[in-house]
Amino acid sequence: MKIIIRNSKDLYAGILFIFFGVFSVAIGRNYPMGTASRMGPGYFPFILGSILALLGFIVSARALWVGSDRIKPWVFRPLILVLLAVLAFAILLQRLGLVLATIALVVISCLSGWEFRLLEVAILSLVLAALAVGIFAYGLGMPLNIWPF
Amino acid sequence: MDLFNNLILGFSVCLTPVNLLYCFLGVALGTLIGVLPGIGPTATIGMLLPITFKLSPVTALIMLAGIYYGAQYGGSTTSILINLPGEASSVVTCLDGYAMARKGRAGPALAIAALGSFFAGCVATLIITMFAPPLAEFALKFGSAEYFSMMVLGLIAAVVLAHGSLLKAIAMVFLGLLLGLVGTDVNSGIRRFDFGISDLSDGIGFVAVAMGLFGYAEIIANLELKGKRAVITTDVHGLMPTRADLKASWKAVLRGTGLGAMLGILPGGGAVVSSFASYTLEKRVAADPSRFGKGAIEGVAGPESANNAAAQTSFIPLLTLGLPSNAVMALMLGAMTIHGIAPGPQVMNERPELFWSLITSMWIGNVMLVVLNLPLIGIWVRLLTVPYRLLFPAILLFCCIGVYSLNNSPFDVVLTAVFGLLGYIFIKVDCEPAPLLLGFILGPMMEEHLRRAMLLSRGDPTVFFTRPISLAMLVVSAFLLLLIIAPTIRRKREEAFQE
Amino acid sequence: MKVKLGLTVLALCGAVLCIDVGTALAQSYPSKPIRLIVPWTAGGATDIFARIIGQKLTEGWGQQVVVDNRPGASGIIGFEIAARAVPDGYTILLAAQPFTVNTSLFSKLPYDVVKDFAPVTLMAYTTNILVVHPAVPAESVSELITLAKSKPGQLNFASMGSATTGHLLGEMFKIMAGVDMVHIPYKGSAPAMTDLLGGRVSLMFDTVPSAMPHVKAGKLRALAVTSAKRSPLVPDLPTVAESGLPGFESAPWYGAVVPAGTPKEIITKLYTEIVKILNMPDVKDRLSNYGYTIIGSTPEQFADFIKTDMAKWAKVIKDAGIHVD
Repeated sequence: MKIIIRNSKDLYAGILFIFFGVFSVAIGRNYPMGTASRMGPGYFPFILGSILALLGFIVSARALWVGSDRIKPWVFRPLILVLLAVLAFAILLQRLGLVLATIALVVISCLSGWEFRLLEVAILSLVLAALAVGIFAYGLGMPLNIWPF
Repeated sequence: MDLFNNLILGFSVCLTPVNLLYCFLGVALGTLIGVLPGIGPTATIGMLLPITFKLSPVTALIMLAGIYYGAQYGGSTTSILINLPGEASSVVTCLDGYAMARKGRAGPALAIAALGSFFAGCVATLIITMFAPPLAEFALKFGSAEYFSMMVLGLIAAVVLAHGSLLKAIAMVFLGLLLGLVGTDVNSGIRRFDFGISDLSDGIGFVAVAMGLFGYAEIIANLELKGKRAVITTDVHGLMPTRADLKASWKAVLRGTGLGAMLGILPGGGAVVSSFASYTLEKRVAADPSRFGKGAIEGVAGPESANNAAAQTSFIPLLTLGLPSNAVMALMLGAMTIHGIAPGPQVMNERPELFWSLITSMWIGNVMLVVLNLPLIGIWVRLLTVPYRLLFPAILLFCCIGVYSLNNSPFDVVLTAVFGLLGYIFIKVDCEPAPLLLGFILGPMMEEHLRRAMLLSRGDPTVFFTRPISLAMLVVSAFLLLLIIAPTIRRKREEAFQE
Repeated sequence: MKVKLGLTVLALCGAVLCIDVGTALAQSYPSKPIRLIVPWTAGGATDIFARIIGQKLTEGWGQQVVVDNRPGASGIIGFEIAARAVPDGYTILLAAQPFTVNTSLFSKLPYDVVKDFAPVTLMAYTTNILVVHPAVPAESVSELITLAKSKPGQLNFASMGSATTGHLLGEMFKIMAGVDMVHIPYKGSAPAMTDLLGGRVSLMFDTVPSAMPHVKAGKLRALAVTSAKRSPLVPDLPTVAESGLPGFESAPWYGAVVPAGTPKEIITKLYTEIVKILNMPDVKDRLSNYGYTIIGSTPEQFADFIKTDMAKWAKVIKDAGIHVD
C-alpha cells in the first residue's frame, strides 16, 4: 500500500515540531515541576513541549491528506558553505585575528556562489578586511585582535 | 506657563555649539550602529561610556540618548533592504519592508520609515514634556499580574502576524516560547536547556536568533536561486513615497505613535513589543489584510513610528523615577552615576537644566536624523544594485562581527549559524519566523510574571481577575480570540451547509 | 661532537636567561597593554569602580589598561577567562562577591578559586541597605523582626536574582532572626525596585546609591545598613547588628586577582601601585562619594579573606537550602 505524501512541506514541518516538543518534554522532566500554584522550572517546558508536539502531530497528519505542496529539492552547497564560512570566522577570530578570519569568511562564502573568479574574490576579501579593521577595530574601538597575536 | 519656562531653559542649554555637536555625533553614530547588523546601542553606549568621562554630564547624556533613538532610525534600513533586522524592534519591518524592496519600492519604504519615525519622535517628546510624572506613576501600577495579562494579549495578537497556515504559525509561536526558556530561570535560579555551556546560561541572544532566522536564511535561499530571489524587479520606481503612499500611511503613523508611546513607558515592555503590536493593529484594521506580508506600506509606517515613540518614552521611568526600563536605560543610569548625578525622583527638581535640555535635545536630534536619513536613501538604494555575489559576503561579515561584538563571544556567532540552518529549513517547509520571534521574546517574560504573580498572591490564581488593569486586558484578549476564531467557524459552518 | 657541544652551550645560555626572566619581566612590566577583566556589564557599579582604577593605572604606568567586560553566568564566564589566561601579569581580574559565593552554589565550576588565582589586593568594600515600603509598620530592624514573627510567610523580600547578594542577605537575615519571609527574585535591580515602590513586595536589601534617591523622596523607608560599621554615605543609619540582630554583617567587596603562576614580583608591583592609587586624594573622594570604604590589603590578607568569606557563605547557602543545579 503506497502512502502518497501530498504535502511534504507540512509533513516535514510537523515532524520538526514533534521533535522539538518531545525534546523539551524529555529534558524538562529533569527539572523540578512544582505544583500549579508554585510552578517549578520544569512546568512550562513540559506543558509547552507537549502542546508543540501535539500541534506537530496534527500538522503532519493533515499533510497526509490535505493540500499539495511539495517541498522543493534541497540544495546543499550554499547552505553548507555559508554556515561553514560563519563557523570558520567564529573559530578563527580570536586565534588568528580579524584580517585572516575575514579572508577565510569571504573566500569560503564565495565558493558557495555560482561563479568564482579568483582575482575578484581576492580583492573583495582584502577590501572587506580593510573595511572591517577600519570601522570596527579603529572606528568603534572594539577589542579585536587584528593579527594573530 | 511653568512648562514654557522649562522649555526655554532646556533649549538655552542644548542649543550651545558643544551640545549641538555632540547631539549630532550621537545621532549620526546611532544611525550607523542601527544600520550595522548586530551591534546595537547597548554595546556602543557601553564602549563609549569612558569617553564621556571627559564631557559635562549634560553633553554626555545628550550624546548617549542620541545614539539610542538614532539607532531606531537606522535599524529599519537593513530590515528593508536585505531582510536583516538591525535592531530587535525592526524585525517586523522586515516583513513588509523587504517585500516592498523586492518590488523595487525600497526608496518609499525607507522614506516612510524615516518620516514616520520623525513624527513619532516629536509627538513622544511632547508627551514626555507634558505628562512625564503622571505617566510614570501609571507605570508603577503595573505589576506581574498586569504584565502577564498584557503578554497573553500580545501572544493572541501574534497569531495575526501570520499570513500563511494558521496552525503552523501557532506551532511556531510555541517553538519560540520554548526557545525563550533556555537559560537561567529567574524564579528558581536553575539553568534550563543549557547543556553545560556557560554561554547559554543567560539565554539565547535575540540578535543571534533574528540574524540567523531572517538574515542568513535569506542569504542561503538567495544563493540557492543564484541571486534571483532577492529582487523581483530591478527597476526602482522612485525614491520618494507617492501621494497614495502618504494617504495610506498617515493613520498608521498616528496609531503606531500612540501605541508605541504607551508601551514604551512600561519597564520591561518597551520598544520591541510596540512594533509587533503596531503591525498586528494595522493588519487588523486594514480593509484588505491579505496585502500584508507582500508590501503593504502600513506594515512599515506603523511599526517604525511605534518603535521610535517607544524609544523616546522609555526615558520617562529613568528620568522621573530613576528606574531603567531596558538595558540601554540601565547604561544611561550608569552614565548619570559616573557624572555624579543620583538618578531618582529628585532629578527633575534638583537638576532641571539636565532634565529639560535632554528632552529638548531629543526634538533637535529627531530633526537632525530626518535631515540625515532622507538623502541617504539614494545611497542605500544604489547599494542594492551591487552584484549579489559581492554583496552577500559583506553582509555575512558585518553580521558576524556585529554579533560577536555583543559579548565578545565566538559562541554567539556559532549560534547564528545554527539559527541560519533552522531558518533555511523553515523557508523550505513554509513556516514563518515572525511568530516564532514574538513567542521567543514574550515567552520567558510571560512565565516569569505568571510565576511571580502567583508567588506574590501566595498561590491565589484569581489575582489576574481581581486587579482591574489585568482583568481589562484579559477581557480584550478573549474578545480578540473570538474575532480570530469567528471567521474560521463561520467558514466551517458554510462548508458544512453546502454539503 | 661539535653539535652536542653547541647544544649544551645553547641550553646553558637558555637556562641562565630563564633564571633572570622573572625579575627581568618584573622590571620591564608593564611593557604592553594590560587587560582588566570585569565579569559584569558596562555601566554597572563594578564596572565604574574598575574604570576608575584602570584609568589611574594607565596614567601611572603609561600603558593602556583596557577594561574587558565579559558579563554572564553570575560572573563565571569572566572568572573562567581569567583563570585560563597566561599568568604574565597582563591579565587582571576584578573580583567581587560572586567570586567566593559561586563555589558553594554550583556543583562544578570551570575554575578553582584557590588554585587558579593569586590574590593581589582587597581594594574596597561598600554596604547594602535594608529598605521597606512605607506601608510596612516597622521603623527599625527589631520592629521588623517582631512583625515578621507575628506574620510568618506574609512578608516578602525582593532581590536582584536568585543567589545574588540581595537574596543571600535575605536568607541570612531569616536564619539569624528566625523568621519566615518569602523570597521574590527579579531579573536585575530595576524590576525589583519597581515592585517595591509599587508596594507589591515589602522589603529589599539593595545598594545604597540605588535606594537612597527613593528614600530621600519619601517613597521608601531605610531601616539599616548591612556592614559591620556605619556607612559614610548615610552615617545616621544604624547597622543591622546595632538595631536588632547582633552578629549580622556583610559587605560587597572588590578585589584584584591575577591568574595563578604570575611572578611574585609582578604581583607585588601591582599591589603597591593599586594601594598608591587608592590613597590618592581624588580617587579617595570619588570612591567615598559612591560609598566605598578603601582597604588596600596585602595579597596574604586578601587570601585569608577569600577563605573566610567562602566559608561564611557556604554555611548560609547550605542552611538556606539554596541550589542552582
